[in-house]
Amino acid sequence: MSPSLFNFVDAKDKFTASARHALSGKSSKPLINIFNQIPGNETEKKTTLDQALRGVLGDLIVEQKPSCDDYLSLIYLSIDAVTEGICSATTPFVLLGDVLDCLPLDLCDKIFSFVEENVSTWKSNSFYTAGKNYLLRMCNDLLRRLSKSQNTVFCGRIQLFLARLFPLSEKSGLNLQSQFNLDNITVFNKNEQESTLGQKSTEEKEDGMEVEEGEMGEDDAPAPCSIPIDYNLYRKFWTLQDYFRNPVQCFDKFSWMTFLKYSDETLAVFKSFKLDDMQASKRKLEELRASGGEHVYFAKFLTSEKLMDLQLSDSNFRRHILLQYLILFQYLKGQVKFKSSSCVLNDDQTAWIEETTKLVYQLLREIPPDGDKFATMVEHILNTEENWNSWKNEGCPSFVKERTVDDKPKRPTRKRQAPEDFLGKGPDRKIFMGNDELTRLWNLNQDNMEACKSDSRSVVQKAREFMPSLDEFFAEAIEQADPANMVEEEYKVVRNPNYGWRALRLLSRRSPHFFQPTNQKFKSLADYLDSMVSKLAKELPKDIPSEEIKTGEEDDDDNGDNLLKDSNDSPSIQSKLVTNQQMDDIAAKLGAQWKMLASHLEMKASELREIETDSEDVDMQAKLLLVSWQDREGAQATVENLVTALNSAGFSQIADSLSEA
Amino acid sequence: MRLKSDLVQQQQLQKKPFVSYVLLISHVINRVFEWLQLLHMSVFSQSFSPCGRFLAAGNNYGEIAVFSLSAALSPDATAANQKPVLTFTAHEGPVFSLLSTDVHLLSAGNGEISAWSWNELTKKCLCVCRSSLEIPEINSMIINPRDNSLVVGGGDNNIHIMDLEHGVFKNVLQGHSDYIHCVSVRDREAEILSGGEDGAVRMWDSRSSQCVHCIEVYKYESCARPQFGKWISCLTTDSDWMLCGGGPSLSLWHLRSLSPTSIFPLSGCQRQAAFYQDKILAVGEGAFVSHCLLGGEVKAQIPCTPQSLNTLQLNTNSTEHRVLTVGGSSDHIDVFTNLSYRAFSLSF
Repeated sequence: MSPSLFNFVDAKDKFTASARHALSGKSSKPLINIFNQIPGNETEKKTTLDQALRGVLGDLIVEQKPSCDDYLSLIYLSIDAVTEGICSATTPFVLLGDVLDCLPLDLCDKIFSFVEENVSTWKSNSFYTAGKNYLLRMCNDLLRRLSKSQNTVFCGRIQLFLARLFPLSEKSGLNLQSQFNLDNITVFNKNEQESTLGQKSTEEKEDGMEVEEGEMGEDDAPAPCSIPIDYNLYRKFWTLQDYFRNPVQCFDKFSWMTFLKYSDETLAVFKSFKLDDMQASKRKLEELRASGGEHVYFAKFLTSEKLMDLQLSDSNFRRHILLQYLILFQYLKGQVKFKSSSCVLNDDQTAWIEETTKLVYQLLREIPPDGDKFATMVEHILNTEENWNSWKNEGCPSFVKERTVDDKPKRPTRKRQAPEDFLGKGPDRKIFMGNDELTRLWNLNQDNMEACKSDSRSVVQKAREFMPSLDEFFAEAIEQADPANMVEEEYKVVRNPNYGWRALRLLSRRSPHFFQPTNQKFKSLADYLDSMVSKLAKELPKDIPSEEIKTGEEDDDDNGDNLLKDSNDSPSIQSKLVTNQQMDDIAAKLGAQWKMLASHLEMKASELREIETDSEDVDMQAKLLLVSWQDREGAQATVENLVTALNSAGFSQIADSLSEA
Repeated sequence: MRLKSDLVQQQQLQKKPFVSYVLLISHVINRVFEWLQLLHMSVFSQSFSPCGRFLAAGNNYGEIAVFSLSAALSPDATAANQKPVLTFTAHEGPVFSLLSTDVHLLSAGNGEISAWSWNELTKKCLCVCRSSLEIPEINSMIINPRDNSLVVGGGDNNIHIMDLEHGVFKNVLQGHSDYIHCVSVRDREAEILSGGEDGAVRMWDSRSSQCVHCIEVYKYESCARPQFGKWISCLTTDSDWMLCGGGPSLSLWHLRSLSPTSIFPLSGCQRQAAFYQDKILAVGEGAFVSHCLLGGEVKAQIPCTPQSLNTLQLNTNSTEHRVLTVGGSSDHIDVFTNLSYRAFSLSF
């Protein structure tokens, strides 16, 4: 059976009739019934109902009812319809938009109260996503129609409604780019001809200001001023407003200088012109409070020059100006994501801002009544602003805290630690030794055997590696050995037997010099250590090439340990280390032919060049060659090796003489 | 800048380099001297013109400078408007006292009183007539409007009264034992008040020329400040009330009962004081103008340029230029359009 055709016009008429019926009956039942009766697709029916409702509203509006109850009941009806599922979710909003567009402002007020009351409905899941854009557009349209100074309260209500409806991070409500209202220009007369004095002004009184009688707008023709006017201050003062309007100007050097000058003058005037409570007599204050009526809001400053004196004596006015300063400084100093990179303050500017901020706060505190309270409040508010600023910089993260998953069941807290905790089975797995230091030490690694087995190369277990490096341990001794430091013998650390013992142990582990035989006889451990230290000193700084070391005045005969006195029990001659004397002999015999030996000793070309430059004397050069060979080989600088090299170089005679020696 | 033009002139005298060199040096010395002069200048007296548009000020070099207030207060005033329109040497010694009548500016220094015509002064010419009597160190003068006479307090411990119509001295009031600092006139009762170095404030009946009362301020414990002395340097009266001060503290006296009503706790010695609306303005030692209330409290101290102030004047002759000017130990005269802050300064 084919589904019955959906007849749009027919359905719409039926819906319209039913809607009117429902309106009068104040119930949506008829609508629901009709909806179920009419054959057709759900979507088709829904959209038709939307149209029908809109049509009904249109008719109601045309009838121009004096009260909005009918409109409101229709909208209620549509809300019910949405809840029942017979109408699309956007319909109530569309209806609201329509009605607000067509009504004058006083009726809009009432409709808007309805909107405000139902904010919870709008926020509920079914309505929110569908309707929020409509609502936003509707509110913006209303705001555009309203005047901020005439309908302040209504504008405020709309803003408050928007604030409640949308989350804090809603971008349309934020001044994300920190833009300024550049249109807010303060006009003041720069020369006498433009004086606004003679013009009759409708706004006569500002809050709390004493108006001198007979001063303002009495005559129709511009009257000449009857009091002396400080034009200098007047101009400078109102020029400052331009900087407050557009703070980015402050980053330009010349504008900044002007700003500085004018501010200093103005603040000096504020400083010398102190306000006191007695100026506003008690009676006048009472009158002002009693008048009780609405506070009138002025979006702009009154800048007539005649008012200057009065304004300077008014505490509220002064508070306005000083607060403007503080807000400006906060912007200049603050980190704002959208500030261009050229907007940075230099040190002088920062210093001036700091100083002036202190002055401004001091002036604020001096303004009666309740100056201190006001100043602390202002400080607090500005600090809160910092938080908002950083929130905006971070891209407005949401304030909703996510519920943490996995709430671990907490252990019941105990007054004293359970025994398991002591013995390492508690949550920390620490064994408490009763003493903090012991606990720490023990808990480094509880199993001693494992700790000892640790691989000394592993970074974690480095704690077990107690042997210092040569340069660490001998650093002090090396420094003391330097004759320039002029450390006396008895104070040298090498004299310390404890140090000496440790030095020997370290040398035996780390230094090849320890094992090199030497002819030199040492009277004491200290002397031996001196010589070792000097050798190490030469070695350890890497920039000194090894050849130069040997040309020093140091005796380099100490190639061994005389304590061992093992010159007697040496193994076979061939594996003995070459002595200096032997090297001297060979050098003398080699003479200018040392270069031939060099290649067999595997000397690098650079080293050869160095030897050549070091000395002119060929014997010396030969000696240098042998010495550098010995340095390089270290323990391998044996007679045997040298003999081999000599033989291969063709110096067999010398080789033989060496081996016989 | 003037030095540069001198240099140009010197270059033109290239034929005589030594001479030009000497001239250059002398010019430099002149400039330095002028600057030093300004540094050591003190303004002792001021007076407003009868129309209220000009201010005359006298300094310690015997010069009088005439400033145009209307030019300085106009919206397009420049720095040049804060300089005098006319400066001339009036006396050999310092000009201690200036006074304006309807037509003339009277100036007094050491010895003679000169009368300058205001009309001529505004046209920048000088026309003077001098008094006949020589009185040493005239510190203060005041006009007694009742009989159009000039009351002069001098260094010879006497008060001389001169008839302004004929220019003759008609009376001498003797009584003070030391020189007179200040004189004042009590309109309603036709009395002249004078204060002097001897610490006494004497009240004289102008008709009978007798000393009616004598108040020795330093004898009153509440006012006395023996560390400063007993001299009275400022005196002003409001018919019922009198302000006097100097060595003793500035105090407000009720003249009917001849008793001090309020003592003002100002630290230095006050040199001039004035009644203004419901306040008292006083200047003296200290770089500020003190505003005090009749009850005896110091309401405000407004800072000024000179380190210590000698003279304070309110321009009551004109409403548009109703300013307060103060001068003292500086070549600057501070002008206040609003009593609570210094607007700008005129300078010699």
